[in-house]
Amino acid sequence: MALIELRDVTKSYRRDANEISVLDGVSITVDEGDFLGLMGPSGSGKSTLLNLLAGIDRPTRGAVRIGGTEVSALSERALAAWRARHIGFIFQLYNLIPVLTAFENVELPLLLTNLSKKQRRDHVMTALGIVGLSDRETHYPRQLSGGQEQRVAIARAIVADPTLLLADEPTGDLDAKSAGEVLTLLQRLNREYRKTIVMVTHDPHAAERATHLLHLEKGTLVEQTRVASAGSA
Amino acid sequence: MKFIGLVLKSARRSKRRTALTVLSVAMAVFLFSALRAVLQGFDAVSAASSAQRLVTIRSTSMIFPMPTSHGEIIRGTAGVQDVTYANWFGGIYKDPKNFFGQFAVEPESYLRMYPEILLTPEEKKAFLDDRTGCIVGDGLAKKYGWTSGDKIVLQPGIPTYGSQDYPFTIRGIYRTSSSAVDNQSMMFHWKYADERSIVKGQVGWYVTRVADPDRAAQVATTIDQKFANSPYETKTDTEQQFSAQFASMLGNLNLLLGSVALAVVLTTLFVAGNTMAMSVRERTTEIAVMRTLGFPSSTIFMLVVGEGVLVAIVGGVIGGLLARALISAEMLGLAGGFIPAFGVTNANVVVGLGLSLVIGLLAAVIPATMASRLKIVDALRRVA
Repeated sequence: MALIELRDVTKSYRRDANEISVLDGVSITVDEGDFLGLMGPSGSGKSTLLNLLAGIDRPTRGAVRIGGTEVSALSERALAAWRARHIGFIFQLYNLIPVLTAFENVELPLLLTNLSKKQRRDHVMTALGIVGLSDRETHYPRQLSGGQEQRVAIARAIVADPTLLLADEPTGDLDAKSAGEVLTLLQRLNREYRKTIVMVTHDPHAAERATHLLHLEKGTLVEQTRVASAGSA
Repeated sequence: MKFIGLVLKSARRSKRRTALTVLSVAMAVFLFSALRAVLQGFDAVSAASSAQRLVTIRSTSMIFPMPTSHGEIIRGTAGVQDVTYANWFGGIYKDPKNFFGQFAVEPESYLRMYPEILLTPEEKKAFLDDRTGCIVGDGLAKKYGWTSGDKIVLQPGIPTYGSQDYPFTIRGIYRTSSSAVDNQSMMFHWKYADERSIVKGQVGWYVTRVADPDRAAQVATTIDQKFANSPYETKTDTEQQFSAQFASMLGNLNLLLGSVALAVVLTTLFVAGNTMAMSVRERTTEIAVMRTLGFPSSTIFMLVVGEGVLVAIVGGVIGGLLARALISAEMLGLAGGFIPAFGVTNANVVVGLGLSLVIGLLAAVIPATMASRLKIVDALRRVA
């Protein structure tokens, strides 16, 4: 069943008198439970597409529908509430808040819910357990390795049990070993927990973990493939 | 409540910057409270002044004396019930920096004129009976550790009073029932000073009680008319007007102190505002990430404002409490004489807290608005 539907989505920016097109008439569907890899050269529109899915940017034309909701038509306030409930975002540079511990970073999305303190704690420890960092809850980001920071970021992304996980080059800043651990984790979230994941990547090793691949070039979809067998570490 | 932890952590992000901002707000509140206390002190004296008392001085200036003969003429003026007189002594107790009010008074009439000066009957009799006796306010006595019976010596500070030391015996420690009379002064017999003075029979000011306070202005005019075109022309006002004029000898106090207070507050506002703006700029990424996580613009706004208010209020508490503890006329060695006793009251501390709240709000509102309107994609792109 289609979780994500993009219909003829175009995104362009105005620079002085020129209109620069980043995405041009892209239409895709992503089924629930898919692990989609978005690939393409620099400037192909991958991150822009991810931003549209996250609801942190709006298309110039076309519609973005996720879980039956036309995201592109929501107000700013409604979009924020929708993001809090449905989207888990994983950044390339982790983007943990440096003055918060691992626990507090993971807890951040839950502050927007009505959960009690105890309930929040339970959710956070579960998420940290899934990423294998329960024993690091009191550590600050500066006390964690790059791989650990990204795993905390993944815990933050999943703690509110979102509908969709979006990852923007999640292994871009990691060494091979840490990258492998992160990809294994994402694959596990997809296979065991049935999380729908859209991941932007340049890394062919990362792409192997996906179930489907989309290739973008100059803002248009050039190829859509199903991965024959998703690899593992 | 669940966001308070976030606000506290954000405020501790740069401990040095936060500490300096807290100190600057504390200084602003401290100065504001102190200046307000001084102004309120003068207002209190004015408000407590009697509507039935008039003060007569030389029309040219209070520093020029009048002859004792003026007293009988004033006493004979219609509407006058009682008259007393006093001189400013200006002596030195051990060290010139030991400043306090010293008045040579006609003791019996002075104590009649000022029922606010409270002495026991024994103290009053002892004072009246001893030409070299004096009475001191309980605040002054406490400052120097004086008790009844102590001997003190003043060196004359004004040449008129000669060059010999003036020994005194403390015959009473008075309390006051009104801020119209301060408790930081000393009073002694006018005759004792006069007999040692180079120029005798000189009076600094007369105080008159009128029978009918509604006719006070009329009686004042009548008194001055009696001395018009004489070598010792006078200016007579109600005690309230006299107090206000004394304060105005220091300049337009309200304008002066008010301007200083405003300058201090505005400077602090700019400092705090700049600090908040810097703090928000440094956190562009974090704000973008929180917006991505779903934090609405209004919550981001409240978090930034909350941080500004928290820092400002901490500063306000420190500044207010310090002012309460440190600022008083006694502490500053200004007490006595015509400068009223003043101090920072609990109400002043509350006003200081209110001021710090306003500073926090105003300093944070623009950075908070900028943070809440941040374009997420642009902010994230800046980082990447």
